[in-house]
Amino acid sequence: MPYSMTRWNDGLDEVERVSPDITDETNALPARYFTDPDVYEMEKQKVFGQYWIYAGHTNCIPEVGDYYTRTIGDREIIVVRDHDDEVRAFYNVCAHRGSAMVDETPMTDPDNARRIRCPYHLWTYDLDGSLTSTPASFEDARLNPDLEDEDVGELDAEENALMEVRSDRIGPFVFVNFAEDPMSLDEQAGTMKAELEALPLEEYQLARRIVSEVECNWKTFGGNYSECDHCQANHQDWITGIALDESELEVNDYHWVLHYTHAEDVDDEMRIHDEHEAKFYYLWPNFTVNMYGTADGYGTYLIDPIDEERFQLVADYYFKDPDLSEEEAEFVRTSRQLQEEDFELVERQYRGLRSGALAQAQLGPNEHTVHKFHLLAQEAYEA
Amino acid sequence: MSQQRRTPFAATCTACGVDRETASANEIVAFYRRHHRHTGHDVEVTRADVDGDVPDTDDLETVVAELEEHYEEGVPIGVVAAAMARRGRSVGETLEEIHEVRMTGALYEPRHDHLAAF
Repeated sequence: MPYSMTRWNDGLDEVERVSPDITDETNALPARYFTDPDVYEMEKQKVFGQYWIYAGHTNCIPEVGDYYTRTIGDREIIVVRDHDDEVRAFYNVCAHRGSAMVDETPMTDPDNARRIRCPYHLWTYDLDGSLTSTPASFEDARLNPDLEDEDVGELDAEENALMEVRSDRIGPFVFVNFAEDPMSLDEQAGTMKAELEALPLEEYQLARRIVSEVECNWKTFGGNYSECDHCQANHQDWITGIALDESELEVNDYHWVLHYTHAEDVDDEMRIHDEHEAKFYYLWPNFTVNMYGTADGYGTYLIDPIDEERFQLVADYYFKDPDLSEEEAEFVRTSRQLQEEDFELVERQYRGLRSGALAQAQLGPNEHTVHKFHLLAQEAYEA
Repeated sequence: MSQQRRTPFAATCTACGVDRETASANEIVAFYRRHHRHTGHDVEVTRADVDGDVPDTDDLETVVAELEEHYEEGVPIGVVAAAMARRGRSVGETLEEIHEVRMTGALYEPRHDHLAAF
């Protein structure tokens, strides 16, 4: 039987890379990856600048010209439905002198525009990003005595288009990727893409968005979401009706699925999917899809970092009718209860991690989803 | 059992039922901006332990001018939001009014997110 020993910051032990063998005592990320501000700065490039990141839901921008903005790390983008009914993403940056063009516009309160216009010098772009017009002052040299009008070059519509951000979808979920040569979304999402696209997710509307700020590293919450060893002791209301012993945590290349079996069967009308269970998907690095076992609806979590010690949990709830029934409102309230219980746990864990006593945590044998999560973080850091 | 110390500032988004406690007044404003970016929701200041008397007026310029006596290099914008909260204004409403008054030239920022009256 393997023997393991806690790696304290006591001058005796050194931290090691995350071992691919979960039975090793160094099976978790060293603690400093959760608390060091330099790590978060690195993650902006090596995690949030390399992998497919959730940008929003297509149902929120149903009409041509509908758009919302989204900020990922330091990058602000516009997600817009173009004239061909395609959802595209662009940096919210004018090609002229780099001004941000549109005001921050949340997905919950989208705006509509026939064209995207920079308010600074009125460069104007079509919804496909191409430059459609500039003021006359960019076509002649009337104020510059050193130039003749014929010296002024033409501004080509395509060569001066907005900078597009690579985007792709899983059903109605829009993802963006800032890397120059990324893996495909198909590869990152794996079987999760086909499983979700087999479901009528487009038939459901965003009914509630609740955004909470939590005092811990985003990965601390990600790890907590990914295992249920803590559920028996800490989610006593929720686990009533869940057969934890029959549940299973399934690990794939870049996502994992938590299958929670209900102790008693639930009517098919109370689920979108066929399996008689709740299915919670975690897609690396910070997106979850919550296919409930007891509600005709689904939810998503975006675990959106603020810095190394805080994140926002953007919790979206989708139902057939955006006006919630009493039962659906009660379902959301129960979900909020679960979140608050988890926030207390992760903030408590983070308080301990920040004290600096623990050099490297160790994971249990049933925390293999968290192990995968830590391995992926390490892979991203070392790339 | 330890007792957590009460933070001097707190705000809430009633739409989300989410509260935020902070050590600094300007962090209330930062919370509003982050929250609004995702939700479009406004937030209310629910607690503000501000030094000195809060001016008894609705006039933003006067509020900033009187609070300036207690601060060097401008009044933190969160302190102004806290003062205006006592007059029933949300953080979003105060920031909008600050923007409007700044655009008239009557207020300026001697440093980022700190206000002074011209």
